[in-house]
Amino acid sequence: MRTLLTIWAAKLAALALRLTGRAGTHVPGRIARRLHPGIIGAVRHPARVVAVTGTNGKTTVSNLLAEALEAEGLRVASNRIGSNLAAGVAMTLIDALTWTGRSRADVAIIEMDERSARLILPGLKPDVLVCTNLTRDSIKRNAHPAYIAWLVSSAVAPSTHLVLNADDLIAASIGGDDNHRTFFAVDRQPGDGTTPSGAAVDVAICPVCDHPLSWDYWRFNHIGKAFCPNCGFRAPEAAYRAREVDAAAGQLTLDLAGDERRAHLINDNIVNVYNEIAVAAVLDQLAVPRDRIVAAFERIAPPTTRFASEQVGRTTIVRQLTKGLVGVACSRAFQYVAAFPGRKSVVLNIDEVSERTSNVENTAWTYDADYDYLASDEIEQIVVGGVRRYDQALRLAIAGVDPERIVTVVDEISAAEAVEVDGMAAVANLHSVHNAVITGTPVQNRLRDRLGGSAS
Amino acid sequence: MSLTIEMLFPEIANLHGDNANIDYLAQCRPDARIVRTGLTDRPAFVDGPVDLLYLGPLTERGQLLAIQHLRPHVDRLVELIDGGTPALFTHNALEVLGTRIRNDEMGYDEAGLGVLELESTLSMLGRYSGKVMGVVPEAGTEHPLVGYKSQFSMVTASDSMPGFLTAERGIGRNTHTAVEGVRRGGLLGTSLIGPVLVNNPHFTRALLAKLDPQTEPTLAHESLALAAYDQRLADFRDERRWHPVETVRR
Repeated sequence: MRTLLTIWAAKLAALALRLTGRAGTHVPGRIARRLHPGIIGAVRHPARVVAVTGTNGKTTVSNLLAEALEAEGLRVASNRIGSNLAAGVAMTLIDALTWTGRSRADVAIIEMDERSARLILPGLKPDVLVCTNLTRDSIKRNAHPAYIAWLVSSAVAPSTHLVLNADDLIAASIGGDDNHRTFFAVDRQPGDGTTPSGAAVDVAICPVCDHPLSWDYWRFNHIGKAFCPNCGFRAPEAAYRAREVDAAAGQLTLDLAGDERRAHLINDNIVNVYNEIAVAAVLDQLAVPRDRIVAAFERIAPPTTRFASEQVGRTTIVRQLTKGLVGVACSRAFQYVAAFPGRKSVVLNIDEVSERTSNVENTAWTYDADYDYLASDEIEQIVVGGVRRYDQALRLAIAGVDPERIVTVVDEISAAEAVEVDGMAAVANLHSVHNAVITGTPVQNRLRDRLGGSAS
Repeated sequence: MSLTIEMLFPEIANLHGDNANIDYLAQCRPDARIVRTGLTDRPAFVDGPVDLLYLGPLTERGQLLAIQHLRPHVDRLVELIDGGTPALFTHNALEVLGTRIRNDEMGYDEAGLGVLELESTLSMLGRYSGKVMGVVPEAGTEHPLVGYKSQFSMVTASDSMPGFLTAERGIGRNTHTAVEGVRRGGLLGTSLIGPVLVNNPHFTRALLAKLDPQTEPTLAHESLALAAYDQRLADFRDERRWHPVETVRR
């Protein structure tokens, strides 16, 4: 009876919110968890429950899975438009119930914040848990990837089938002895190396004998295929593999447990190649026919990416969002900007908005990021705005950027005035997700104006 | 003189950007020899002198590995530290030198190297993050040291054990003391990240002078380092930016 009352209370709260023009799952979910802390486990679940977690890609993989399964004619419960914290998950499950508590969905696709594993997994007990990857995230919140792996492992049920990234030895370590595991990977790519570099490499020694690992291929951070020349340890073999990625043709090969299929490439960013093979692996495990798995990638697409470029005259304005306080995310953004050909200038506004005036940002995370990408000779000027502009400027200088090329300005938006745009092949506008509206958009508009384009 | 700086186990002791402490020192002293000792290597300090020994932040498993691989050399480590060889242990590297590391959630209670009479208790579901500001003798009262804590562990030790600093703001070794970190012989041990040497150029200048008294210390990118310090210090002195959890509970 307590469960039913909780369901009603949460549904009524959601209804009241909708009547007042507000949406969202967090508040009703919080009410539900307050009334019944075990509500995630107490409600009836759809016949199949798939949870998706990881540092990057969990939203994309969840959304793609939900779309693909809906196209299979299944009724899918998902938190696509809700929160991935415990409250959001609770409300997603409640939303999928009738007022009498019967499930209306065939399958649940639950995106799960990895830090919330202990609040979600014991009740959810998913049939399948996908972990896309575990790389460094917020120092304050996530500490380090091995900690997150421990958090998830300590909460996952032995009955859960784990679908894991074989190219990430930390994500691949999740679970206990009894968990069934399926691995996915992306085979060696043309740009891969065999020697790790960069500030944040979290797997360097053999988990068995502590000796240095060698790599069949190394991609970024600790992502790649490692082995130990000392004791013979090897990364797990992946049953599901992506290979022959052809960005120009928009295709790749999906090796589905030995059955090779040419498929549409949903996006040529390597992170999305991993996402695509992860989705294929889960769909195959859910017994979706392989022809339809391949066909699904013709229809589904990842959500809006964190970068956009627009051509104004002879200059490309590259707008790139990063995740504030997360060095690894910034490394990928810097790498992307540096890869644009020709003379470039950069506007860098990546202060953490929430700590501008009420705290003093711990900029230690900047030393987990590979600012070295910005030391390229082709990047002729970097204008840094914001409260922590001198910290950013010092970080750039330590990374090898000529201090003569670094300009600091107090006001973030005025960086768009200070940056050199004449004769540049590309001008990058780097900002964080949190200051996208208050800084990123005005900077973009001003850059467009200065280059003679029309503001949108 | 040329400096020899030994980084212990950088392949596992590299969290929170703290190895930039040594990257920055290396830019201040481009002639310095940086020895990166891997976990299965024989440490350089065992067979000869080094001018600075450094160990940075580790994972929980990394702490135990560091203890395991340093234990055969603990007598030499004590000899060097007590003989005045400078050593910098940051974040939870300091805990490796203690008597005990207790982690109930992960299910272990392990002996440390026993160099210092201190114990660490980890709370894996209660990470502490906050700011710390306090005077260190190397930089004087005009230039207090500024740093950050972001850690699972709290350290307990006798108040008679000299601290790295006494927190004017923020907490010390744990939430009940303002005494932060440890000093013993040449050892500077602190839980603070930042990295400390990047964020505190006055302290770094003094450390460089201590490492090589015959050479005038020079800071890399000095104007930017000083500007960043001045701005951070001004922000640290802004009362509105401090929160109740950043206070010692008496």
